Amino acid sequence: MQHKAIAKALAAIIVIGGGLGYFGYEALQSSWSYYYSVDDFAGAEKAMQAHSLRLAGRVQPGSVARDLEKASLQFTLAGAQAQLPVRYTGVVPDNFVEDREVVVEGRLTPTGVFQADTLMTRCESKYQAKGK
Amino acid sequence: MGELGPFALRLGLFLSGYALVIDLLGLWRKRRELLDSGRNATVASLLCLTVAMASLWVLLVRGEFAVSYVAEHTSRTLPLAYKITALWAGAAGSLLLWLWLQTGFVVLAFSRSCGTDGRFGACARAATNLVALFFSLVLVFDKDPFAVSPTTPADGVGLNPLLQHPAMALHPPALFVGYAAFAIPYAWTIAVLRQANPSEPAPFFARARTWSLVAWAFLTVGIALGAWWAYEELGWGGYWAWDPVENSSLMPWLTATALLHCARTYRAGTRIATWFLVLAIGTFGLCLFGTFLTRYGLVSSVHAFPDPGLGILFLVLLIQIGVLAGILFLRRHLRREGIASGQTSGVRVLVWNNWLMVLLTAVILVGTLFPFFSGFLSDPPISLKSEYFTKITSPGGLILLLLLGACPHLMRRGFTWGWRTVGAAVTAAAAVSIWVLAGSPAIAYLVTCGFVGLSLVGDFVARYARRRPDTARPPRRTTLRWHGARVVHIGVLMTFIGIAGSSGFDVEKQAALKPGERIQVGKFELVYNDLKADHGPNFTAVTADVSVYRGARQIDSLAPSIAFYAQSGQRTSEVDIRRTLAGDLYLALTQADSTTKLVNLTIYQKPLIDWIWIGNVLMVLGALLTIVAVTGRNRSVGQTEVVEE
Repeated sequence: MQHKAIAKALAAIIVIGGGLGYFGYEALQSSWSYYYSVDDFAGAEKAMQAHSLRLAGRVQPGSVARDLEKASLQFTLAGAQAQLPVRYTGVVPDNFVEDREVVVEGRLTPTGVFQADTLMTRCESKYQAKGK
Repeated sequence: MGELGPFALRLGLFLSGYALVIDLLGLWRKRRELLDSGRNATVASLLCLTVAMASLWVLLVRGEFAVSYVAEHTSRTLPLAYKITALWAGAAGSLLLWLWLQTGFVVLAFSRSCGTDGRFGACARAATNLVALFFSLVLVFDKDPFAVSPTTPADGVGLNPLLQHPAMALHPPALFVGYAAFAIPYAWTIAVLRQANPSEPAPFFARARTWSLVAWAFLTVGIALGAWWAYEELGWGGYWAWDPVENSSLMPWLTATALLHCARTYRAGTRIATWFLVLAIGTFGLCLFGTFLTRYGLVSSVHAFPDPGLGILFLVLLIQIGVLAGILFLRRHLRREGIASGQTSGVRVLVWNNWLMVLLTAVILVGTLFPFFSGFLSDPPISLKSEYFTKITSPGGLILLLLLGACPHLMRRGFTWGWRTVGAAVTAAAAVSIWVLAGSPAIAYLVTCGFVGLSLVGDFVARYARRRPDTARPPRRTTLRWHGARVVHIGVLMTFIGIAGSSGFDVEKQAALKPGERIQVGKFELVYNDLKADHGPNFTAVTADVSVYRGARQIDSLAPSIAFYAQSGQRTSEVDIRRTLAGDLYLALTQADSTTKLVNLTIYQKPLIDWIWIGNVLMVLGALLTIVAVTGRNRSVGQTEVVEE
């Protein structure tokens, strides 16, 4: 009886642990991204080119350019010192305005432009994720 | 009025501290008059908080911009309704609302008729007054809603136009009613744990259960309103983004769902009783933790160390509750004698459900805290995209669905090879092979939903069509409760169908269109006719006129728009949606040029998405039916009711 119970518990741990491990690995693998502020990112561009990234900074005033033909948006993500051009295609959050703090997710292209597939704006108490 | 609020708040702080001390003293010295004083102090602190709430409301409505909270969340032109709801627009006001609700609920549940010696109620009051004390400290010393700024601004900042929506006005208070009501099962648990002998029958269980149901219903309303608002207002075609704020409301919801299932077969001294107690404390702890997490921006910051200020009090409180509950549990464990194991197959199934809910909560918690903790281990910190949550919860969700199909039956009849058991096994095999071979979790989900639907229909057939005429009718309360549970389950099923359909078969298209151009989306053809400009008092709006064709026939016309508010530089987009049960066609105007009339449209097809909203309504209705059923029964039968079925 004792042995049976232990065997059962072991089987349960293996099945649940294995499943959790597998799905956890899968989930982490696909969503792992490095989180930088624009300032910290300056200097790490080379090493991070192949990685999925999440960057935070401000929208540089005067840098926002909308290209309606290609349904895309370009702006400069600025920190205290560093700057980075960003290109984004998709739904622009309503509270996206110049000088607002934003977070972008995506990858750095070889040309040095950051291709964002998510654009989020941040409010004080809550930041709303939008679009892909 | 300016001085009354802060004074009432400080008096409330003093009174809840006094009530805590005097109740504990009374419990220790076994003195009845001390306990009475503790009860009166709790009632008095409720009065103080009511005065504080009322004066904050008066300040908001009158627009006293000298008070920072009023200036930050209202403005002169804000409609009256939103001046009233501005009470919970910020952290300070919402904490005050929570505290007021919680104190009110405690007074309702534990001030009158609390046993012969009143000690049970006193212990429960002490547990919540501890929380109230911490909340009051935070309110008075950190997030003071009555704080006055040195200069009085001429006008307030106003409320973000995005938040000026009925769903957003009601979403926070619904959540806070839920959070505050979970204080009752938590307090009840602490009071039960004080009893040294675990087999001693726990008094007032019905109150803990009823308040858990109420809390669950409100939490469901809150979460559903938030999701609906995101879908209607944010224009990205989704309703759930797995951001920390959303996660922190979902986690207590999951543990509370497990809690309610344990309440069904609660009997003192059993394994399920222990589960109930742990889940009650865990649920309330998650409510507190989520508020701390989001209101102090712990996880939304780039750098891992925002200054939490007095928010650290929340952690102190959580640790205190944890340590207290741990000690009490340990004491019971050491003193227990011959606990009934209660190991029937029904209980086993219930325990599976509990573990699954706890596991889901745990993986969501890990993902939410991941960016914070990764800051200690890795430079730069690592954050997880929302895919993490979708991927890690979807297998668990599928198992949950299978349990929903098989378990109500297994719990009643025990494990037998009935058609449901076989059906569950076949469905599981089919779902796994569809998922692995066809790579489509959505189809696997829908197949499982089909089985759950059949199982639910089977329940009704067994009850109504196959009942022998000579058997006695069950009491009305039992019938009501049976239907309540079924309605909730149908709601959950519909929600799952909606989630699977809208996330597995959705279509997204970005289009740049000139007037007269057309675009094919699924079986629809959209024609962009014209861009119309509109001028309001403080905004200019552009609206795209889009006709929807199926084949040659025009079936609808949609008008998504963008409004620009010159004063604030804000722009809001109003989506337009064609809703059918089969799915939504969702149009957002992304960008528009009013001179060339060139527009960018984002078009989504979201199959079955409205099933989510209908499902959510059913879940709440079912919970209400159950509340009516259990509260009615308490009065007629009392505490000693036997679990039916």
